[in-house]
Amino acid sequence: MRRLAFLIAGLALLAAGCGKGSSEQAGRLVIAVDVPVTGSPYVAQTIRQGVELAASNLNGGGGVRVGSKSYLIKVKLYDSHLSARTAVQDARRAIDAGAVAIVTDGTGVDATWQLAKQAGVSMAITHDGGTGLVDAETRPNVFRIAPTNHGIAFRYAEYLIPKKLKVALLSDDSGYGRSGAADIGRAFESNPEAVALKLTLPAGQTDLTPQILRARRAGATALLVWGQPPTIASALSASRSIGWQVPVYTPPTGSDPFIRQQLADHPEWVDGLTFAGGRLTAEVGTGPFVNFQSQYEATYGADPVGVKNSKGQAVVQPPEFAMYSYDFVHVLVAAITHADSIEPGKITAALNQVTTQGANGDERGFNEHNHDGVVDDDVYFARFHDMTYQPVQDDPLSATLPLIPQTRSQ
Amino acid sequence: MRRALTAVAAVALLAPAAALADVQQVLLPGPTPYPTPSPPLVTGGAPPWATLTFKIHSSTDQRVGAGVDERGRVISVRALERLRLTGTGDYLIVVSAPVLDVRMGPGSESQPGQRRGQILWSGFSSKRRLLVSDAKLHAGPVRPYLPLRLEARREGDRYELAVTNATTTSEVAFQGVGVPKELAALLDRTRRDSLAHRRLRPAYVTISGAISQRPRKERISAPLRIEGRLRFPSTPSAASGGTLAGRTVRFSFVLGDRQPLTRRVEVTGGGDPKLSLEARPDAVVRGLTPPGGASTWSAAVARSRQPAEALLERLIETRMELVRSDQFQGFLSNPDQLGRNHTIYVYETAAAPRAAAASTGSSSGGGPLMVLLAVGGAIVAAGAALITWAHS
Repeated sequence: MRRLAFLIAGLALLAAGCGKGSSEQAGRLVIAVDVPVTGSPYVAQTIRQGVELAASNLNGGGGVRVGSKSYLIKVKLYDSHLSARTAVQDARRAIDAGAVAIVTDGTGVDATWQLAKQAGVSMAITHDGGTGLVDAETRPNVFRIAPTNHGIAFRYAEYLIPKKLKVALLSDDSGYGRSGAADIGRAFESNPEAVALKLTLPAGQTDLTPQILRARRAGATALLVWGQPPTIASALSASRSIGWQVPVYTPPTGSDPFIRQQLADHPEWVDGLTFAGGRLTAEVGTGPFVNFQSQYEATYGADPVGVKNSKGQAVVQPPEFAMYSYDFVHVLVAAITHADSIEPGKITAALNQVTTQGANGDERGFNEHNHDGVVDDDVYFARFHDMTYQPVQDDPLSATLPLIPQTRSQ
Repeated sequence: MRRALTAVAAVALLAPAAALADVQQVLLPGPTPYPTPSPPLVTGGAPPWATLTFKIHSSTDQRVGAGVDERGRVISVRALERLRLTGTGDYLIVVSAPVLDVRMGPGSESQPGQRRGQILWSGFSSKRRLLVSDAKLHAGPVRPYLPLRLEARREGDRYELAVTNATTTSEVAFQGVGVPKELAALLDRTRRDSLAHRRLRPAYVTISGAISQRPRKERISAPLRIEGRLRFPSTPSAASGGTLAGRTVRFSFVLGDRQPLTRRVEVTGGGDPKLSLEARPDAVVRGLTPPGGASTWSAAVARSRQPAEALLERLIETRMELVRSDQFQGFLSNPDQLGRNHTIYVYETAAAPRAAAASTGSSSGGGPLMVLLAVGGAIVAAGAALITWAHS
């Protein structure tokens, strides 16, 4: 009798184990992160950590519910080495691993988006604002949460032209510089009187004095330098070392810690540097972003810039790009819930239909016409002083934004 | 229906109270609620979310283009909405509509987004901003909410176009004993607002004794000012209901406001015309004209006795008509509930939709050849598939 009871119990357990729809066991949703770990470590780290933080929060809450089943998010990291060829290999590996989305800084997207599209997989760019990378009609699986070059260029035109400055439009010959030069050229083309000259700078060259002198001779009263952080640092260094206190404006790369590290011996050279970026706070105030920043720092520690201010306080970098990748994961999960499916193609389609609240309290989402999650109007301007920056007061949007703390006592 | 029931319930609740109170203040119709949920257009699913803080206000100018076929049936709809924002701050606006496609309209300072059943706007307004959307809408779901019904017929050499006000709806109204002098003053105020094309302001009327629901529901229509023309390929021989000038018949009238809700334009000869018609929700003029040639209702009441019941009935009816007219001023929604709206409805003869054209095209000559090609192609494809399968 006892044997029979054991047999029945054993069979029951076996049946339960073999059950097709075991709702207790969580499935797995893979999000691939393809970033230049060895080419641009700061960018790679902040994007990866944003994705991981979002995944960790969602998994802590039981994962993603689809139908009667829960799924835990698994993040798979790939190193693109800043190479399009490696990005293609990474995309293939990510698709083979069952990824439902690939989060990238933007490296190699021109070469990878079609591979991903064939598998129905969505790609999310959270750093590169290059025009043409994202197009809802021709690249329906590519999305972006990051300020666009187009938006930055037109906001700069809107901001600088009324100041009656003669702007030298300088761009380096990196891909980033060339694509920015095209956008900034278009933004200023209706106002040629505002442009002193256009000049391409050699990326990686440490001494840009000849080019800066040329800009001065052309009558420039402002420099707009669109390039990689080393180019901006070199342009600042060249202008200040010849005693030219010309205002310098840059795209978001102007806030890269590298520039402050390079000019740490001359912090006054950084003073006045103005960069454009995506606003970190929404109209609701600093609360949501500061909460996100606290959570980010509690998990990974603050991102040190590697310099101190005049009071000896360590300067840290607010987790802007981490916020974008963090937000994308939340929009992706909203899309999965909306689609009620983990099929990549259905998720990609649903990404056009959902909105979530971003880490800064602003709404994040895409639609059938626009796959850019940071609208042009969200571009603001900030100016450096004493190694930290704060929103400028002579631009209507920027003037409404609060200061984000960027120092930590040691 | 739900609104009507709510109104009935409100009147029913009011009735016992009336027995207790000799005199009471009763809210007159206007400026809201509207008697039906649409317009503005709403789509199914979750209600649209939007953020427009108190710092930003908006007004709209809209042009709704309805393409009609030769019988007058609406076969395409296009809506141009100019949203004017004033104030500084963020905005996130969702305009509900059965949208097929939306593009940026002329002068727009931002690009609209699109989702299923939604037009989206998001950005930052610095003092003022103009947002213009040019949207193609699904005609089917929109058709019932357009303000006009057109019926065109041809019998031999005779063409007839019937233009009907389609805004008519039934509403529950109350009755009671008012004070003629106050009612006259309220009618004058309502008239001033109507003639100035201002949205109604909330108003109360003093009622003595019991208040009850009127036995019959009021049939309410928005007055519509119509201006149109029919252009014929050759000169017609006669026309009624419009003015014939060369190959064109022009017509202009108001549908509603104590005037017929349907007008007919009849034309003899000329061939098949192209229609172009504009309809504008209009003011109540005739319904609010004081009796006996008086300059105001107050003057009319002072000059001769006017029955209070009739004055109250007139006041309620005309205010309901103005509310209905205001409702059709906003065909697409305005995120600012208090914002001003202005809509023109344009009906024009349109080419038949592509699907219909394709289906009729098969009978226009190339049909048999196409069928033969299709059958032949299918046989070849099936053979190829068989060979592939055999070699796999």
